[in-house]
Amino acid sequence: MKLVGIVGTNSSESTNRRLLQYMKQHYSEQAEIEICEIDEIPVFDEPEDKTAPQAVQVLSDKIAASDGVIFATPEYDHSIPAVLKNAIEWLSYTTRPLINKPVMIIGASLGALGTSRAQAHLRQILEAPELKALIMPNVEYLLGRALEAFDDNGNMVYEDKAKELDNDFTEFLSFVKLTEKLTANSKFFEISKQFSWKQVANGEDM
Amino acid sequence: MKFIGIVGTNAKKSYNRMLLQFMQKHFASKAEIEILELKDVPMFNESKDQSDSPIIQEFNRKIEASDGVIIATPEHNHSIPAALKSIIEWLSFNLHPLDGKAVMIVGASYNIQGSSRAQLHLRQVLDAPGVNASVMPGSEFLLGKAQDAFDNKGDLKSQRTIDFLDSCFAKFMKFSDIIAQMNIPEDITYEPGTFKVTAVGHNGDLPMEVTLSDDRIEKIDIDTSSETQGIADVAFKRIPQQIIDGQTLNVDVVSGASITSRGVVDGVAKAVKMAGANPDILKKRKKSNGPNKQNVVEYQTDVVVVGAGGAGLTAAARTIQQGKKAIVLEKFPAIGGNTVRAGGPMNAADPEWQNKFEEITGERHTLKEISEIDEKTIDVEYLADFKALKKQINEYLKENEDKKAYLFDSKLLHRIQTYLGGKRTDLQGNKIYGQYDLVKELTDHALESVKWLEDIGVKFDKTQVTMPVGALWRRGHKPLGSQGFAFIEALKKYLESNDGQIMTDTAAKELIIEDGQVKGIIARSSDGKKIIVHAKAVVLASGGFGANTKMLKKYNTYWSNIDDNIKTTNSPAITGDGIRLGQSAGAELVGMGFSQMMPVSDPETGELFSGLQVPPQNFVMVNQKGKRFVNEYGSRDELTKAAIDNGSLFYLIADDAIKETAYNTSQAQIDKQVEQGTLYRDDTLEGLAKQVGMDPATFVKTINDYNSYVDAGEDPEFHKSAFDLKVEKAPFYATPRKPAVHHTMGGLKIDTDAHVINQDEKIIPGLYAAGEVAGGIHAGNRLGGNSLSDIFTFGRIAANNALKDMES
Repeated sequence: MKLVGIVGTNSSESTNRRLLQYMKQHYSEQAEIEICEIDEIPVFDEPEDKTAPQAVQVLSDKIAASDGVIFATPEYDHSIPAVLKNAIEWLSYTTRPLINKPVMIIGASLGALGTSRAQAHLRQILEAPELKALIMPNVEYLLGRALEAFDDNGNMVYEDKAKELDNDFTEFLSFVKLTEKLTANSKFFEISKQFSWKQVANGEDM
Repeated sequence: MKFIGIVGTNAKKSYNRMLLQFMQKHFASKAEIEILELKDVPMFNESKDQSDSPIIQEFNRKIEASDGVIIATPEHNHSIPAALKSIIEWLSFNLHPLDGKAVMIVGASYNIQGSSRAQLHLRQVLDAPGVNASVMPGSEFLLGKAQDAFDNKGDLKSQRTIDFLDSCFAKFMKFSDIIAQMNIPEDITYEPGTFKVTAVGHNGDLPMEVTLSDDRIEKIDIDTSSETQGIADVAFKRIPQQIIDGQTLNVDVVSGASITSRGVVDGVAKAVKMAGANPDILKKRKKSNGPNKQNVVEYQTDVVVVGAGGAGLTAAARTIQQGKKAIVLEKFPAIGGNTVRAGGPMNAADPEWQNKFEEITGERHTLKEISEIDEKTIDVEYLADFKALKKQINEYLKENEDKKAYLFDSKLLHRIQTYLGGKRTDLQGNKIYGQYDLVKELTDHALESVKWLEDIGVKFDKTQVTMPVGALWRRGHKPLGSQGFAFIEALKKYLESNDGQIMTDTAAKELIIEDGQVKGIIARSSDGKKIIVHAKAVVLASGGFGANTKMLKKYNTYWSNIDDNIKTTNSPAITGDGIRLGQSAGAELVGMGFSQMMPVSDPETGELFSGLQVPPQNFVMVNQKGKRFVNEYGSRDELTKAAIDNGSLFYLIADDAIKETAYNTSQAQIDKQVEQGTLYRDDTLEGLAKQVGMDPATFVKTINDYNSYVDAGEDPEFHKSAFDLKVEKAPFYATPRKPAVHHTMGGLKIDTDAHVINQDEKIIPGLYAAGEVAGGIHAGNRLGGNSLSDIFTFGRIAANNALKDMES
């Protein structure tokens, strides 16, 4: 199985990046996880030509070729970082690779709350008709106090959180398989990849 | 009102921009709305801080200066656009302009939703601790189907929509008013000092020292030696920095170290409490925006003076007279210090002038008494002068033996009276008297000071020679005009018209000392600016410490007790700042244990002129039990000592006839004070006793005894030496009184050139002191009228020598 892990920040130091690296290494026998960065993506400004810039196209292609996507998001001001929202806006406005794509949301924070509010926002965002992602329900993986969560070899120190992630990841793999059946005949794949909020309002095909 | 409108997208075409532009136009008569665009805002990146970039700074500055912010947000993917989120992240990272700012959210979208979900997200985002905006609740303005909402002039087509926007905006105007009131910063003052508290570490509590000046948190030292390295280290560095930069306890906790972060905040809060202030005021303050580099201003001058009272302004004026530059720093908004509170006359022996006046009864007797003092009791330095004075007095007495004489005076009499008046012994048996060379300097040059003040523009009343309370002799030169203010007014005028610079609201904090040489002052203005004054000389003229009870209590060796809530006749600015500055340069202190009290001051305000103030021969003083406790004709410090021994609070008793001799009041004032409960009146002595809480029988006996002493002309109890009226005619009055701090005699040790002397008896180069900040002259007790002689004389001397030392 091939998965894409998106690091939800452009910060050079990121516990979310570390969490994804841990998963890539730890679950290498179950899945191939490719970690993708979003720091090179330009600022989204609704360009009229609706063409994805190079960095967006690269990310989009990887998502399109994958069986599922893992978003690892920090929490900035009770929500997801602008830079992650920026990447999502590009994807929703140009290539729309997330349609019917199975998605797992995880998050790590330095404080105790583990990005709970950012994850709730991200769920709402990915459910928007422009994106139409298939977010795995029932699972909310919040890693608080993440700076102390990994040892020098990148292994997770908190046993309970490691076990929880094992379970959640297994669930996600089943969810990916399940969605294959669910979306096999979906019309969503055929609709225009060229999206605009104006079309949404005009009741055009989404 | 001025609002900032933020277009929540960077798209070229935006209905949210149109909405803001419509609001700008539509509400132009009510408020100014400046629209800011996100086009040039870089993507937030915590690893690449661009808080200092022009665009972020522009947002920060304009939002800071505004009365409120209107954010117009589209909805992208059920949330706010990344571009809008990005600027909010920048404005909640190192800058916090939205903290406590009134915010109104509006939104327009193509679909029917009108940005409903984005607005909810935006509310949550603005509510995050780093942003901490005050978002107006309710009045959700959603403009759905925005593409059809505007006409081709850009106006909203629907009147109903306009009406609703009107009501939302009217509410926002009110809301931002209320929020502005919440944001008015409360002032805070601390008891200066270093307070030992603890911070929370991973391995237990860590010792922390918090240094507070009277209005600032100056330093936070945390001893982390027992702590393991790690994330907490960041908290121990970053949190104290944020607290000091912003003078606030509203700081962002360091992620991952929230417990240690809060531990630092709690520790500082505890220190603030120990310093007698309320830490909640600091918690309500804005977050720090980092140290503002533009907030340092530097000056270059010849002489910088601390304190804009009589001594300081004199030093500055004398400097300018000699063609040099001077800057005066005053921590209060108004100049004048204690000088404006002075009664007016200044002592200076001027026999040529005084001899034109006739002697009055009793003066000859006073001179005789002085001449009869046993020489053995005179301290050796003063002996030659005393003998010479004796000769002068005897010649005068002989010359005028059989006739009405003129008023006598001489520098020697002034000198010996200053010496005798200041001679005291404290509770520990330490004897003190004025340092001879300083007293000589004062009495030799006081008259020059009068002449100098006349040159500056002070006009004196030559028609009478007066004597303030406690002066011992008539040699007071009284200015025309309003008492002490007359001096300040003239000096101020002189400085202003001769390029002298007086900086008010500017508190001197630190001396600049290089290689033992004092080279200026670091000060702080009340708006937080750091002010560095480089100078060739520093003159400390900041007064004593009469308004600093803690310091009084620390040094006091003269009074058996000083109440924590003792009042003062001084300006509240007089808190010993100059003494502390001098000490930081190693200055020696002299006579610090001695302070002068005004015995008959108002117990609530410290002022002298409330209640019934009558001549001392009509004083009847009773303690809280209703008993007399002192010879009411005694000196200021005898009365004060007795009062303190009797619990400080006492009453001046008067009847209707004694009331008529009061020199300070009118019937209307008396009635008002009785009504306010600051003066007691009753038709019977028993009733009066009950009103003030004394045993009526004891009080009536006290008054009856007193009246019998007046009849007999003798007081066997306390030996009151002069009587006038009895207490017999209703209604009766009781004026509550309490001693209040009036003058602190001790201070920095100086020489006759006003150099400040260090503990090794050496001059501190570049540092001078003049006025109440210096000690050694008045010793245990200052004569009334000598404080003005002191400040104008030593103020001049300090400037003269500062300039002289510069030359050499």
